Amino acid sequence: MRVRQNGRGSNDAPHGCENDSLSGRLLAKLVPLNPRASGTEDGMTVLSARSSEWVRPVTQQGPASAIIEIDRVSQVFQTSARKDHVALSDISLRIEERAFVSILGPSGCGKSTLLYIVGGFVSPTSGAAKMKGQAIKGPGPDRGPVFQEFALFPWKTVLGNVMYGPRQQGIRAAEAEAQSRALIEMVGLKGYENFYPKELSGGMKQRVALARTLAYHPEVLLMDEPFGALDAHTRTRLQNDLLNIWERDRKTVLFVTHSVDEAVFLSDKVVMMSKSPGRIRQVIDIDLPRPRRRNELLLDTRYQKYVVDIERMFDESDDGGVPA
Amino acid sequence: MTSSAGMTKRAAPVLACIGLLVVWQVASLALKNDSFPTAIGAIRAIPDILGDKESLINILASLRRMTMGFGAAVLVSIPLGLLMGRSAAVAAFFNPLLMVIYPVPKAALMPIIMLWLGVGDITKTLVIFLGVSLPVIYHSFEGAKAVEEKMLWSGAAMGLSPMQRLVRIVLPAALPEILTGCRTGLVLALITMITSEMIARQSGAGNILFNALDMGQYDTVFAMIIIVGAMGICLDAIFERVRARLVRWSEPQFDMPLSFS
Ligand SMILES: Nc1ncnc2c1ncn2[C@@H]1O[C@H](COP(=O)(O)OP(=O)(O)OP(=O)(O)O)[C@@H](O)[C@H]1O
Ligand SMILES: [Mg+2]
Repeated sequence: MRVRQNGRGSNDAPHGCENDSLSGRLLAKLVPLNPRASGTEDGMTVLSARSSEWVRPVTQQGPASAIIEIDRVSQVFQTSARKDHVALSDISLRIEERAFVSILGPSGCGKSTLLYIVGGFVSPTSGAAKMKGQAIKGPGPDRGPVFQEFALFPWKTVLGNVMYGPRQQGIRAAEAEAQSRALIEMVGLKGYENFYPKELSGGMKQRVALARTLAYHPEVLLMDEPFGALDAHTRTRLQNDLLNIWERDRKTVLFVTHSVDEAVFLSDKVVMMSKSPGRIRQVIDIDLPRPRRRNELLLDTRYQKYVVDIERMFDESDDGGVPA
Repeated sequence: MTSSAGMTKRAAPVLACIGLLVVWQVASLALKNDSFPTAIGAIRAIPDILGDKESLINILASLRRMTMGFGAAVLVSIPLGLLMGRSAAVAAFFNPLLMVIYPVPKAALMPIIMLWLGVGDITKTLVIFLGVSLPVIYHSFEGAKAVEEKMLWSGAAMGLSPMQRLVRIVLPAALPEILTGCRTGLVLALITMITSEMIARQSGAGNILFNALDMGQYDTVFAMIIIVGAMGICLDAIFERVRARLVRWSEPQFDMPLSFS
């Protein structure tokens, strides 16, 4: 019986603070550290309190810093029950390079749909999404999705899954394998390289999915409730790991979540959406120092205030919203 | 698994065969009918058939047609089924055609095909091809349709073109289902092979069988039935080994026996 119950085995990398040096070392090997990584916290600058207004940011540093622009995007679905269902209505959003942005909102408000539009998997009914000034026409390796359903390739081992992207990009097998092994170690799955997805627990699959996407170095990570299906403990651990990875690598991340804690803990910006039709309700800057440590942050009154405020807004939108 | 349980599992098919032969032997002794030879009589006739050069050539010719019909069917049906599963337009085009062909016994088409192509290998191979195609198309279609969309999206994000996604994601993801279809197809190939030789009596294992029947050599008839049955079992066993090896990654991890012990 090779399958372990939960997460990693005894030989796996420890997590939390001790993990820092390890994943740091590995990352230094894998991804050249960004010189600007630890610099400004500029993140994302615009935001429209009402999604229909397109507010120019005061502190904008030129269009170059916005990696993703979503301009008046609407998505209407033809459904069998209702004739037309407006999933997204007039969404405008700018996401600055290297920002960690969370999208938070009630179920069915169109968070996934918005992410799929940025990914190029779905084309919006109206409006446009742009990546670095270019209209997004389809999926591409510059935007790496991590789906809630994992969507691993079941016929490939852990190593095969992680190597898939690099191989597709024409990296030689030996090199791709070395990189992938390092990534697998970084996400704490050393020793599981030759396991098939069916032999992994949910949390382990999620780690593989993350490693598989990181392996082809997308500029933007699109994560759709990646930790939604996990137990609280694994979830916390993966949040810490993701934060460690991100604080060194500083990719742009668009992160969909249901969890207010998670959004505040991880993000520079939290985009709050409301339902029926899906709109941006508010964008909140999370002005908390980095690197963030969970145990410090939980005691930080600023963190607590963000969580409480956002939760209150959530409740209001629930009260005011149309029933699902 | 304990070794005694393993032994039981291995011995079971052998025991089943022996049991069947015993029942046969007893039944034929009891019935005392000319057209129902004893099991021992039939088994005795087997070496005569296999030792005869003419018969061997016939059987090998059958196997050759079967292999060709099966191979061609698989080569055509898998891509077609996968395309149908991933493209609504392709499915809309081929579905009505297949719906018409599906319930028709392929052997019923043989007289017409014989008119066009004669009674030779081409006709028989074509009939086998038709017999094998439908289950393989159907299972490939179902398998391709069931491929998780997010898996294809992941591939697209890695830069796979639509064609690459079909070959490198849809094909492997649907493989367990495809191979289930192929296994059904293999048995159907054997059946259509014999049927086609029954209709176009010229060569082959079916030809030996029905000639013997005409001449009242019932031992030979039953010996041929055993030989064809054994061929089916062997082919299926070989195929099953290949299949299990190819889709090891998808086999259920824990089986839940409805154990009575
Ligand atoms: N393919 C589709 N066809 C029809 N309607 C759809 C489709 N996809 C999504 N919808 C509708 O669009 C709305 C938004 O869906 P979406 O999956 O984006 O919500 P979400 O915010 O991600 O919800 P959750 O948090 O539950 O995942 C829902 O009301 C859903 O019914
Ligand atoms: Mg969703």
